[in-house]
Amino acid sequence: MKGKTWLFWGGLIAAAGGVLFQTSYDVQDLEEKLAGLNRKIIHEQESIQVLKAEWSYLNDPSKLEQMAQSYLALQPTEPRQYVAMDLIPMRPADAVPPPAPALPGQPGAAPLPPMVRAPGTGTSQVASARVPTVPNNTAAGIVPVSVPAAAKPLPMDKALERAAVVVPASLPSGGGVADPAPRVKPSALVPGAARAPVEKTPEKAATDRAAGKLAPNAPTSPNRATEVATRPVPLAASPVPAPKAATAQQPYQPKPTDSLGLLVARLGANR
Amino acid sequence: MSGYDHGGPAGYGQPGGGGVPGSPGSTYVPPPAPSPYQQPPQQPSARPRTSLAVALEQSRYRLLVTAAVVTTVFTAISVKLAMATLFAGGGEPRQHVALEVDNTTTNRADIVDRNGNLLATSLVTQSLFADPKLVSRPEEAAQKLVSVLPELDYKDLVGKLSGDRRFVWLKRNLTPKQQAAVHRLGIPGVAFEREERRFYPAGPLASHVVGFTGIDNNGLAGMEQGFNKRLTEDPGTPLQLSLDLRLQHVLKKELTATVQEFSAIGAAGIVFDVRTGEVLAMVSLPDFDPQDPTGLNPDTLFNRATLGVYEMGSTFKIFNSALAFDAGRIRPSDMFDAKNPIKIGRFTINDYHSLHRALTVAEVFQHSSNLGSVRMVQQVGIAAQKAFMTKMGFTKPTGLELPESGWPLVPNPWREVNSYTISFGHGISVSPMHTVAAAASVINGGLFHKPTLLKRNSDGEIPTEQVVSRQTSDLMRRMFRFVVTEGTGKSADVKGYVVGGKTGTADKQKGRHYQKNSRMSSFLGAFPMNDPRYVVYVLVDEPKATAKTYGYATGGWVAAPAAGRIIKQIGPLLNVPTVDESSPEILNSTFLNAAGSTNWQQSLPPVSAPPPSKGSTVASFPTQTKPR
Repeated sequence: MKGKTWLFWGGLIAAAGGVLFQTSYDVQDLEEKLAGLNRKIIHEQESIQVLKAEWSYLNDPSKLEQMAQSYLALQPTEPRQYVAMDLIPMRPADAVPPPAPALPGQPGAAPLPPMVRAPGTGTSQVASARVPTVPNNTAAGIVPVSVPAAAKPLPMDKALERAAVVVPASLPSGGGVADPAPRVKPSALVPGAARAPVEKTPEKAATDRAAGKLAPNAPTSPNRATEVATRPVPLAASPVPAPKAATAQQPYQPKPTDSLGLLVARLGANR
Repeated sequence: MSGYDHGGPAGYGQPGGGGVPGSPGSTYVPPPAPSPYQQPPQQPSARPRTSLAVALEQSRYRLLVTAAVVTTVFTAISVKLAMATLFAGGGEPRQHVALEVDNTTTNRADIVDRNGNLLATSLVTQSLFADPKLVSRPEEAAQKLVSVLPELDYKDLVGKLSGDRRFVWLKRNLTPKQQAAVHRLGIPGVAFEREERRFYPAGPLASHVVGFTGIDNNGLAGMEQGFNKRLTEDPGTPLQLSLDLRLQHVLKKELTATVQEFSAIGAAGIVFDVRTGEVLAMVSLPDFDPQDPTGLNPDTLFNRATLGVYEMGSTFKIFNSALAFDAGRIRPSDMFDAKNPIKIGRFTINDYHSLHRALTVAEVFQHSSNLGSVRMVQQVGIAAQKAFMTKMGFTKPTGLELPESGWPLVPNPWREVNSYTISFGHGISVSPMHTVAAAASVINGGLFHKPTLLKRNSDGEIPTEQVVSRQTSDLMRRMFRFVVTEGTGKSADVKGYVVGGKTGTADKQKGRHYQKNSRMSSFLGAFPMNDPRYVVYVLVDEPKATAKTYGYATGGWVAAPAAGRIIKQIGPLLNVPTVDESSPEILNSTFLNAAGSTNWQQSLPPVSAPPPSKGSTVASFPTQTKPR
C-alpha cells in the first residue's frame, strides 16, 4: 500500500516535472520567436526609413521639374487659369440641357486648354488606363457630354447587354483588336446618368464608379488621339458593328465639350 | 552546521590568541585578572575556580554566540530565498517585449517641412572595418575589396590591412548592395559595424536652414545645430519646420536664374507669412550640399538671409515712411523739397535720379527719393526714429531659431547724420530677415510677429506686438501698391495678385568708401495688397548690368522681375485667390496716386469707366462656355 502511495506521488512529481520542462521549452521557443520578430520589425523599420528617404529624394521638386519638362507637355499653372467658384453660373434646376449646341459639329472651335502645349502624351495615360472598365460604352461614347443618359439610343442597351461579358476582361488580356474607341464615357460627366432607367443592371454600380473616376480626367483626353488611345483594348468578346461605327465617329469628339464637361461636372458637384 | 562550528570559535576567539583556554598563551591574560569585582559574587559559593572551569564557561559562551550568528545568517538566507522564489513572480522580469511599430530605430529625429516632406533623416548603414591581425593575406584581401568597392585605393588598403592595429576603418556607410558584395567575398578579419548616417533627401535645396551634421551625427549648422538637443532627446517625433519645399524650390530656381543672368556673387530670398511670422522659404546663394558641406568653398556655408547684415538701401524707406505716418504729423499728400542737396558736415546727400522739384510723400516713395526721406525724418526727429527702429527689432538679432543669426550694426551714438542716412537705408546694417519681419508688421495691420522657422500650431497663440497703427499700415499698403503700379517696381507686377513692394539699391561699402559699381539690389514685395498675406524678398549681391537692362543693375531691374516671377509661381501654390485689380473693392483698399490721394473714383476717371466685370480671370476658358 505504502509503495503504491509512493508510486503515485512519484508519478505525480515526474509528470509535473515533465510539464514544467515542456512549458519551459515552449517559453524558450516563444522567446526566440519574439526576438526574431523584433529583429524583423527593426529591419522593416529601417527599410521603411530608407524607402521614405528614397521617396523624398525622388520627389525632390527640382528633379520633378526636370522630369516634367522632358517628359510632359505641361507647364506651370498661371494665375489667369484660376476661376473663382462664383464666376461659374449655376445650372438651371430641371432644364434638360439641349443636345444641339454641343453635338459633334464644331470641333476645334475652342483652343486647347492653355496648360497643354501640344497634343500631349503623359496626362491621358491615367485616364485611359482605366478604360477597360467601361468598354461597353464605346457606342455611346460619341454622344456629347451634355446629353443625359436617357437620350441615348439603342447602342447603349446593346452595350449594356454585352457588358456582363466584357467587364471581367482585364487589361493585360490584350484582346488583339486594336480599337481606338473613345476612352471616355461622356455620360460619366453628367450627373444625370443616374436618371437613365436603362442602367438597372448590376453594371450600374460599376459604371458609376468608373464614371466617378473618369470625370476629372475627361477634359484632357477625348479630343486628341493619345498614344494610349490607340492601345489595344480588350473587346475580345464583342466585335459587333456598333463599336466600329463608334470608332469611325470618334474623331468628331467636339472640343468644346472639354471645358463644358468640366463645367458641368463642377456644377453637378455643386448640387 | 558542523562546518561553521569550527569557524565560529576561531572567529570569536581572536582575542584569546590560540583560543585554547588552558594554554598559558603569551598575550592571554587569565580570567581572574581582568575584573577584580567579579570575585565577590563567587566568593559565597566557595568553590575553587580552577582554570578548567573557566575555560568550559568560555567555550559555552562562544558556542552560544556562534549558534546565534549562524542561525541569523541562515534565517536571512532562507527568507531571501523564499521571497525570491515565491513572491517575486517567478524570477527576474523578462526583457522580451514586442517592439512598438511606430518607434524609430535611429537616435536622431527627422526634420520635415510643413507638409511632412523629409528634409533630413537618419539611415542605418553598415560600415566596414578590419582587424589586421586576423587578415592572413592583405594583398589578396585588398584586391578583392577593390574589386567590389572601386573607390578604395589598393595601396592604401594594403597598408591598412597589414598594419599592427587591431581596428581600422575601411569604409564608412556602405550601401546595402555594397555590403552584400563585401559580405559575399567572405574575407576573414573584415566585418561590419552598424552606424547611422544623416541623409538629406532634398539636397542643397534647404541646406542653409536645415544645416548639416558631422561624422558622429552632431549638428554643426542650421537647425541641426540649433535643435541638436531636441533632435537627440526625442528621436521618435520629427521636427516640423515652417518651410514649404515647393516654395523653396521656386525661390531657389528664380534666384539662381537671376544670379546667372546678372553675374552676381550671391543672392538671398525669403518668403514670409505676414499673418503668423512663419518663414515659408529661405534661400541663400551660393549654397552647399549638406551631405558634403566641407567639400566646396567655405563661403557657401554663409547664410546671407540671416547671418549677413547689409545696408539695405531704399527698402528702408518703408520704415521711414511708416515712421512718418505713425508719428501723426505727415500725410501722403504733404510736399517735401527734393531739389536742393542736403549738406551735413562733410557729407552731401543727393538723389540717384533727381526730379528737381518738391515731391509728395507718395512720390518720395515712388521715386525712392533720398532727399525727401531726409526731409521727412527731419520733421519727425532723431529720438522718435531711434525708438521706432528699436521697436522694429533692428537693434538685436531676429530671434530666429538658427544659430546663424547676425547682430545688426547700429550707429552708436545715433547722431543727426546717422538719422539722415538711416532714413534712406544707409548707416545701419541689418539682415534680410530683420527687414522682412519688420516690413511684414508694417503692412499686416501693424502686428509684429517674431519670425520663426518652426511650424505654428493652427490653434496656438501667436506672440504679437502692435508696432504701428492700423491707419499707418493701411497707408503703407497703398504706398507698396503704388510703387508697383507706377513706381520703380513695375516689373514685379503679376496680374491677379495685386502685388505691392519697394525696391532697394545700396552701394556696397568697401573699406571706407562706397563703391559705385558694386551694390546690393533688392526688392521687398508683398501680395495680395488688399489683404497682405505673404512677403517675398529678393536680394541680389553685386549684380552686373546687362544689355537687356540698359545698363541698370538696380533693384527695380534686377530683383523686382525675379520677385514677380516668384509670386507668379507661388501664388497658386499658396492658394491665393486671383482678383481683378481694377474692381472697385480692390481699388478701395489699395489705391493711391502721386498726389497722395486715396480716392480712386475722383482721381482716375478712366479706370472707373470700364465695367469691372470684364472677367479677365476667365480668359483661359473658351468664350462659349460662359453663357452656360
